[in-house]
This record gives sequence, structure tokens and C-alpha cells, in this order.
Amino acid sequence: MATSSFPEPKGALKWPDGILKWMDERLGLTELAEFARHKTVPQHKHSFWYYWGGISLLFFIVQLFTGILLLVYYRPGKEAFDSVRQITYDVDFGWLIRSAHSWSANLMVFAVFVHMFSVFFMKAYQKPREFGWWTGLALLGAVMVFGFSGYLLPMDELSYFATKVGLQIPSMIPGMSGLVNDLVRGGSQVGEATVQRFFALHAVVLPLLFLPLLGIHLFLVQKHGNALPPGEAAKPASERRTIPFFPNFFAQDLAMWLLALNIVTILATLFPWDLGKQADPLSPAPMGIHPEWYFMSQFQLLKVVGRWIPGFAGEIAGMGLFTAVLAFLAIVPLFDRDTAFGRRARLTTWLGVLMLGGMIGLTIWGYAAL
Amino acid sequence: MNYPTWDVPLIGSVWVIGAIAIFHVMISQFAVGGGLYLALAEQKARREGREDWLEVIRRHSKFFLILTGVFGAVSGVGIWFSIGLASPESTSALIHNFVFGWAMEWCFFFVEIATAAVYYYTWERVDAKTHQTLAWLYAGTSFCTLVIINGILSFMLTPGDSWLAVAGTGHEASRFWEAFFNPTYWPSLVLRSLVCSSLAGVWALVTASQLDGPLEALKAEVIRWSARWLVPSFLLMPVAFFWYLSAIPANSRQLIQAGVSTIGSGLFTQVTRAALVSVMTSATILAIVYFLAWRNPMDFKLGHSVAVLFLAFAATGATEHAREMIRKPFTVSQYMYSDGVRRSQIAGFNQAGFTTDSPWSQSMSQGELMFRGQCMNCHTVDGYRSMRRLMRNRDRKAIGNMLTVLHDTPASSPYRNFMPPLVGTPQEIDALGDYLNTMVGAGGPALARSSKSSH
Repeated sequence: MATSSFPEPKGALKWPDGILKWMDERLGLTELAEFARHKTVPQHKHSFWYYWGGISLLFFIVQLFTGILLLVYYRPGKEAFDSVRQITYDVDFGWLIRSAHSWSANLMVFAVFVHMFSVFFMKAYQKPREFGWWTGLALLGAVMVFGFSGYLLPMDELSYFATKVGLQIPSMIPGMSGLVNDLVRGGSQVGEATVQRFFALHAVVLPLLFLPLLGIHLFLVQKHGNALPPGEAAKPASERRTIPFFPNFFAQDLAMWLLALNIVTILATLFPWDLGKQADPLSPAPMGIHPEWYFMSQFQLLKVVGRWIPGFAGEIAGMGLFTAVLAFLAIVPLFDRDTAFGRRARLTTWLGVLMLGGMIGLTIWGYAAL
Repeated sequence: MNYPTWDVPLIGSVWVIGAIAIFHVMISQFAVGGGLYLALAEQKARREGREDWLEVIRRHSKFFLILTGVFGAVSGVGIWFSIGLASPESTSALIHNFVFGWAMEWCFFFVEIATAAVYYYTWERVDAKTHQTLAWLYAGTSFCTLVIINGILSFMLTPGDSWLAVAGTGHEASRFWEAFFNPTYWPSLVLRSLVCSSLAGVWALVTASQLDGPLEALKAEVIRWSARWLVPSFLLMPVAFFWYLSAIPANSRQLIQAGVSTIGSGLFTQVTRAALVSVMTSATILAIVYFLAWRNPMDFKLGHSVAVLFLAFAATGATEHAREMIRKPFTVSQYMYSDGVRRSQIAGFNQAGFTTDSPWSQSMSQGELMFRGQCMNCHTVDGYRSMRRLMRNRDRKAIGNMLTVLHDTPASSPYRNFMPPLVGTPQEIDALGDYLNTMVGAGGPALARSSKSSH
């Protein structure tokens, strides 16, 4: 176990005793600190992957904070583009807030994917962590919808046409066309009504769903602690190393947050999110319209399957394949239940490798084919 | 335009200098701060009779010697090569004015490099007092190189009224000391000294984080001692920064604020963004060093120290970039523009022509000569500040109008404070307009394709 038994550095900042005592009596800080001190985190060669859940959370907090600031100037509806133009080119540090929001959104999707696959390969969905996995999957779904709904809000050319193409896909499913028209698009074409709907979804509905789900997910993580990867779990308890959650892991987590925050800042400042031309529904779609990178693998999958099986059947086959992957992820805790190295466990791992490789390969292929 | 031009596709010659200079600054400022670190660390170890500490310092001095003696020295020479190729006029002007300064710097540099090698190779071969003296000799000479180069670098932003009064008369060197101790000399020296101290600590954390085996017991102590080297920056950097800001010209201060409300291109808004990166990364370094290195030294691993180093690299790069940018549109403020044209030459070039005396007038078109001579110092065809992108959606008439604005520099021009005035006869400016129009149009010549280099 890594030691933390060093004397307190001279001059370390301390709360004045009186204030600390006053707060402790009311908030129970001593019990909380005691709990955190006794909580431990496994330490092994794969410990790096434990940070990704926290990093995802940080990016979400950045989203929340910058999103609230953007609400001050953003006006959905017919003024959507103008308000984003104002934020980007007129308001002091408006560009920074918008860029931080956009970059942290992309980084959050990336971090959530990394977190999901690290949990998958550590088999942290097995008993008793099934609900942690399912709530995590639901959060991943919500993050993707966050991304899709937020993408349209500036109403520039690229976001308009990409959303138009994106909404055509579910419309092709029999019986879905009316639902997409009435509920999601607000008409037969993407327009002001769509922006209003997407804004309500992005800024009200999704946060209302996301926050309780996140609360449950974090509660479950606290309750069951960090899972050990199979190789580590197989070792005798005496050979396993742990570090105290507080202050050791907490300090490292904080350092990772600071680094992640710096990456957002560096990207947002050096590569600020620009605004394209205002969307014109009457103009032809510009060349190379494509979804955001995190939808690219699905987009490419539909294209490829559509090429092999032309027509409606191809659309259904592509959607079916995609749905099968989601279904597999949902049932994996029931399929690969409690063995680390059994036949099902090995099969699941290989399917995970296939899924990850497929996602990366299709994404690269998608961009290369643009 | 009697010097050859240097065409570096995509990144432009400006970023060749930038990349080498940022790398060099990271190491050379470590060389200055690290010298003092070694001297004080050895003094402490000898005073306290700590043989184990001496072993740690010996290891660190090996790392120090390799990094500064090889990479620092090579990148320093690299700067000379690159500035000579990219900005020959500016380099020439600086050499003519500061040849005595550089002669002094090279003397100190020679002693510094030699002492660093002697210091490392004489561990346990000379007596303690001599070895300690070598450490102080190194620290002193390396600091002197900073004292001198700071005078030349700060001169470029604020040459001072005294020097400007004789600029272009051939008597510039007579105001050497006024130019050297220019208005930003002292705040700049304080800022750089603070950065040197921080970098000494940051680099020392890299070696301290790897202490293992019999020396692992020292890890906490060495890490905390190294972390202390960031304290002067933490306390004094904001004060020094505002001192520096108060000393720079008003239009440079305006440039720093240009990007507060917009990301509009062509307005140097990236200066503001670079300054933000610098502040953010510096604050993060202090936070990580406090929370991880100081509070939990035994958990401070190589990965953490490399992350801090990466942040220090980002902070250094952003700061140096911002410092270079706030001088725009000049290389030497109020005297020479970034395209190498002196203020005093503008009327002459407008009357007699910019390309008239060019040795390459037979081998390339007048438009390309104008482009190479006045645009290419800051722009590339397709990459950094791409001319093709900036001229996109402009027809020949719009390009001509823009060139007229750049030539006449009316008070209403948004480029007045950021770009040098375009010089040349109406015929030359027309030729440049044709060249740019062909470049933007379909199938237009890319500079790199039409002519690899005019060397």
C-alpha cells in the first residue's frame, strides 16, 4: 500500500478551528472525512482507467455551467442563429463559453465511451454491479441525445443539414414517420419549431432525466466501490494493493480534473468553435454533410449495409444490426454473470474487442469516404 | 528585397522559428533556474552533511547536462539558422545594433556550457569547496546570459525614444545601453527570472518523481524542496505581469484585449486566447504541484511530473507566442515592420518600387516577388494564415480594393494596427492583385508548386 504517513507540510492551509467546529457540528464533516479515509481504491497497473468516470463527470459539470451561461444570450426559434452569432462575435468571452461548451461536449462523449469500454473489459458489470452498468448505459444514451439536440441549436448550414439527414433515418421505420414529424421535428421540415423542441429537450427534459440517473449511478459506484479487473481479482487478497480514497486518490482525481480542465481550455481558446453560414432551407445541401464524429460509425454502418442490401431492406438491416449491438450491451450482465475466465467471459471480451474495433474502423472509414 | 525568401509550406517560416524558440526557451530558462537550483541544493546537502542528497543532485546534474548542453545548445543554434532564413532584414538590424551584446552573451554561454560539463564530471574528483564554486560559477554565468538576451528581446518591443531618435542614421550603436535598458527591460527580467525558478522546480520534479531503490526514502523531501521553487512565481508573477503590462505600448495592450469579445479572424484575437492559455496552465501547474507534489509526494509519479511539464510547455509556448504577437505589425517596434520593411523606406519603395532591385526579377513574376517579399513572412498559401482561405469569396476587384486599403492604411482600416502597410508602385500592387487572384481561382498556382524556393 502506498504510504501517506508524512508529516503535514509546514504552512499547510487550515480552516480556523472555530469555523471548522461550527460547520462540523451541523454538517457532520468529521464522519464524512472518516468515511472517506477508510474507503480505499484498488491500486494496480490498470488503475488509470478508474479516472475516466470522474473525468466524464467533470465534463458534464463544465457543460452545466457553460450551458447556464449560454442561456443568458441564446434565443431559440427564428433568432437562434443571430443569438449564437452575437455570443460568438460580440459578447465578451461569449466565444469562450460557447467553445468550452462545445469542446467539453465532445470530450464528454469521448470520456464516456472510454469509461464504458474500460468498465466493460474490467467486467465491472458483473454481480453486484449490474444496475451500475444499466444506469451507465442510460447515461450514455442521454449523452448522445444531448449531443444530437445541441448540435442543431446554432442553426448554421452544417448543423441544419446534418440534423435533417439524421432525422430522416428514424422516419424510414414504418410507423415512425408521423411520430418524428409531430413530436421531434414539429412539421415536415426542420425549422423554427424543431429548434424550439430541441432546445426544450436539450435544456430541460434531458437534464431532468440525466441528473437523477447520475445520482443513482454515483450512489451505486459508492456502494459497490471500484471493481477489480479479472487478473487482479484472481490474486490473493494479501497481494492486492489499495490506497486511501482520501486524501491520496482524491488528490490524484483532482489532478486529473485539473488536467482535463486544461485540455478543454486549451482546445477552446486555441481552436474556438466557429459559426458557419446561416442555414437556408431553400439552398442545396453543401457537399460532405456528415454527422458528428460520435455518430459516424452508425452512419457509416447504415451506408455500408445499404450498399450491400439496397432499398428499404438495407435500412432495416442496418438499424437491426445497430439495435442488436445495443441489446447485447444491455443484456451482457445477464449473459456473462460471475465468472472471470469462463467461456462466456472470453466470448464477451472478444465481442467487446470486435465492437470497439468496429466503431473505430467504421468511424475512420466514414471520414475517409467523405 | 535583396535577401532570399524561405518558403515553408503549411506552417510557414514563422512557426519554424516559433517551434524551435518555444522548445529552446523551455530548456534555456531551465538552464538558468536549474543552475541556481544545483548550487543551492549542493550547498544545503554539504551544510547538513547529507551524502544521500549529494547522490540525488549528482543524478539530477547528469540529466541537466544532457538536456541543456545538448538540446538547449542545439536549439539555440537552430534559432539563429531559422531567424536568419525567415527574417534576414530583422536579424541584420539586430546584429548591427547588438553585436557587442551578443559577443558578451556568447562569452558567458561558452563558460556556462564548459562549467556544466566540468561540474558533472568532477563529482568526487575535486574537493567539496571547488565543486561548490563550480556550481556558483555556472549559476552566475547562466544568469548573465539571461540578463543580456533579455535586453535584446525586450528592445524589439520597446526600443525606447532615445534609440528611435537615431534609428536609421547609422549611429544606432551609440545608444546601445539606452536600447539595452529599454522601458520593458526590468519587468521582463523579473518575469523571466520567476519563470526560470519555476522551470527549475518543474524539471527537478521529473527526476525526483523517479527516485526509487535506496533513494526512495528521500523522495518526499526532494519533491517538497523542488516544489518550493514555484513559490516565488505564485507570489510575484501577478505583480510582475501587471508591471510588464504597464510598460508596454498602448497598442500592444489593445492587442491583448482584441479577442475578449470575438474570435473574428484577421484581428489577432489569438493573442488574447494565448494569454488565457498561459494564465490557466500556470494556475494549474501551481495547483497540481501543491495538491499532489507537496501534499502527497510519495504518490507523485513520473506521469504526474510529465503532465506538469506538458502544462509548463503549453504555458511557455502561449506566453512566448503572445509576447511575439503583441509586437505586431513590427519586428522592432516603430522602426521595422514584420516583413522587414523599415518605416523610413516606405516612401522610397512607393516611388521607386519594392521589387526594382530584386536579383530574382527575371526568375519569377512581379506579383510573386511582392507576395514573397511582403506576405510570406506571416502567411502561407494553404496552411497557417492561409492566403487562399483569406482571399476566398473575393473577386479580382475585391482583392484590389483590399490591397488599396493595405497600401493607403486609412484610419478606418481594421488592419492598421495589425499588418504592415503594403508598399510598392501601383503597377506592383496590381501585379500582386493578379497573382493573388490566380492563386485563389481554380487551378491557380500554389507557391510551393510553382517554385520550390528562390534560394
